[in-house]
Amino acid sequence: MAVAPEKPRIYEGTRIPSPTPTLLAIPEELRDSEDLLQVNFGPNHPSTHGVLRLIIDLHGEDVVGLEAVIGYLHTGFEKNMEAKTWWKAITYPERIDYLSFQNNELVFVLAIEKLLELEVPEKATWMRMCLAELNRIHSHLVWLATAALELGAISMFWYCFRERDSILDLFEMVCGTRMHTRYFQAGGLAEDIPRGFFPEARKFADWMPKAVDDYERLVDQNEIWLERTKGIGLLSAEDALALGQSGPVLRGSGVEWDLRRAEPYLAYDQVDFDVPVYFNGDVWDRYKVHMDEMRESTRIIAQCLDRLEGMEGQPWIADDRKVVLPPREELHTSMESLIHHFKIVTEGYRVPEGEVYVTVESPRGELGCYVVSDGGPRPWRVKFRAPSFVALEATATCMRDALVADLIAIVGSLDTVMGEVDR
Amino acid sequence: MALRDYGLKSERVLWTGKGPGVFETELGDLESQLGLSTVEKAIAWAQGSSIWPDTFGLACCAIEMMSIVSARYDVARFGAEVFRSSPRQADLLIVSGRVAHKMAAPLRQIYDQMLEPKWVIAMGACASSGGMFNNYSVLQGVDKIVAVDIHVPGCPPRPEALVEGIVRLQEKIKAGVPPAYEIRGVAS
Amino acid sequence: MVDHPARLLEVCTHLRDAEGFNFLADIAATDYLDWGGRGVAGYIGNDGGRDLNRPGSQGLARLPEPKPKRFAMNYHLLRIPGGGRVRVQAWLDEDEPVPSVVEIWPTADWHEREAWDLMGIRIVGHPNLRRILMEDDWEGHPLRKDYPIGGEPVRFSGEE
Repeated sequence: MAVAPEKPRIYEGTRIPSPTPTLLAIPEELRDSEDLLQVNFGPNHPSTHGVLRLIIDLHGEDVVGLEAVIGYLHTGFEKNMEAKTWWKAITYPERIDYLSFQNNELVFVLAIEKLLELEVPEKATWMRMCLAELNRIHSHLVWLATAALELGAISMFWYCFRERDSILDLFEMVCGTRMHTRYFQAGGLAEDIPRGFFPEARKFADWMPKAVDDYERLVDQNEIWLERTKGIGLLSAEDALALGQSGPVLRGSGVEWDLRRAEPYLAYDQVDFDVPVYFNGDVWDRYKVHMDEMRESTRIIAQCLDRLEGMEGQPWIADDRKVVLPPREELHTSMESLIHHFKIVTEGYRVPEGEVYVTVESPRGELGCYVVSDGGPRPWRVKFRAPSFVALEATATCMRDALVADLIAIVGSLDTVMGEVDR
Repeated sequence: MALRDYGLKSERVLWTGKGPGVFETELGDLESQLGLSTVEKAIAWAQGSSIWPDTFGLACCAIEMMSIVSARYDVARFGAEVFRSSPRQADLLIVSGRVAHKMAAPLRQIYDQMLEPKWVIAMGACASSGGMFNNYSVLQGVDKIVAVDIHVPGCPPRPEALVEGIVRLQEKIKAGVPPAYEIRGVAS
Repeated sequence: MVDHPARLLEVCTHLRDAEGFNFLADIAATDYLDWGGRGVAGYIGNDGGRDLNRPGSQGLARLPEPKPKRFAMNYHLLRIPGGGRVRVQAWLDEDEPVPSVVEIWPTADWHEREAWDLMGIRIVGHPNLRRILMEDDWEGHPLRKDYPIGGEPVRFSGEE
């Protein structure tokens, strides 16, 4: 239903600036113009998601030059993780992408398990999947709340945070804390799933699709929303692939690529879900991808809960005592358990030599973890491939023919989390 | 009249029948020593009850800071709901998240742009002391560059914890305790 | 897939055009200074010497396999839509430069800047090689193994 005036749809050819793909340079004819204004969209700004600095050249209201400066949140995660044992290092990845914290833990833990060639019990796999999908909904809710807030739709903020609090209540029930849960271990889960989780999670899974419908009812037919998102920030499929985009940005540009479908990890090949793809490559399509993904995640959660309810009493962590702590009752009777416990806690378990690159579909795209181990108790090198880092490279391309007001919509739609970008 | 007659509530919200805690007793002593006049008390009450934070969310703690504005942990009840984007209009700087050395200069610039009286809450472990990141890139505690009034521990602190921090700050203000830059004698 | 840095551009162009690896997922630079210096990497017998059924099977200690040079640049490639991943490794010495793959995959721009900034690997042919994560006037390359982790010693409240 065309409420907004017709805007250009997807473009032909490539619009990636050259020679530097991430820098939009002022065109020749405007270089000596007197109307040029260089504005610093500084690190502290209510509309950039965190500490992003954009140096923009404006000609009137058109954005003619753009450069993104990052690094204001650089924390040296990778260096810190090299100094800790494998077990302690699992706390660090969570803080990298602080909206989808369990996906970060998941990718690191999957990398360790791949190097260890450890088999994870079924219950842990399904629970991890359930929590990862809850995390995806959490991340999309916060994205929607802040993106809508920046475009002026302030009510979305309140509603999205109401659902977000329900999700965080679920996390608190299972893992003990709201954010940064540190629940995944190198063989499964840290503790068993409490019994009260299933009814609460069911209530949430039943309520969530109605909530998503509510959100769509709020903004989908709003003329201001449509005008500010349709036809803005175009990114064609070839450009998206060349720029390394993944996740909702790529699926909003028409490429059907979802790691959960293409390279299934955990148990994603055993659940039924659709991958939403939209073909116009603008901010509206990315928004629709996010909304549809929330619905699909709820479907996955319902299926996980069905399976998990039948797994009462099964082990939640692998049995390999060289890697996993023995249960505390055994420490009183078995000498080997005591020795294993001691060695794991003091020195840490050893991961065999090797290098591995593991990817996971985080709410932002392909989150990858490249781990090099020298066989010792501490990682040698851990590198995280952060999808937001790559998404910010696309700002210059999306920002062609954009006005200042569109800048905010575009940066919002790329769904960047600065903790991930700067690591 | 002592503070508890004004309805000092921070620890008593949790446990009825509990006597004043360490914080309240110290504040009570300070208040009687400072001996504010009624006008000053009124001004302090007004300043404390409508303290406006600045949007300075850096990392994970910023998400919990956003959730105190949401409906469940409503901070509007305490007067701190209006998050101003411009530091010139704000009186409270909640440093939420890890401060990289690169960000330290903008942080100080924002602090300088705020008008007196101004207060700073260091939210979370990273802002208070560098947190789990004891390395080349993270400033080990934001009190190295700004004068901090309240440190809220946690990683990230629960929204209730941050609200408790704001409430304690309000009680400090109402007791007449000067902002941290005056106490420490540092440039504001 | 291991490769010599001089032939990197040929190899990458071939992979992109002939084999269809049109997506550069990540460029990870690794510093192998003092590889094997931490002692034992495992025990001969099986991976990591773990054999649950034979508790005494420690066997002989072994060191990790030595690496050819100090630095490795790893390019992780992916083929969309077919799937399939490849890692191209280029081994570099202390000051050896590596050609830039920005012409082949524009996304390499920031990844290579990060490799230069944090690891000090010189990229030849990059249009905009500047520091990206650290401050512009920072000295040193933090992720190298001979760069200290920094930070402060932690003071405990009990000590004087």
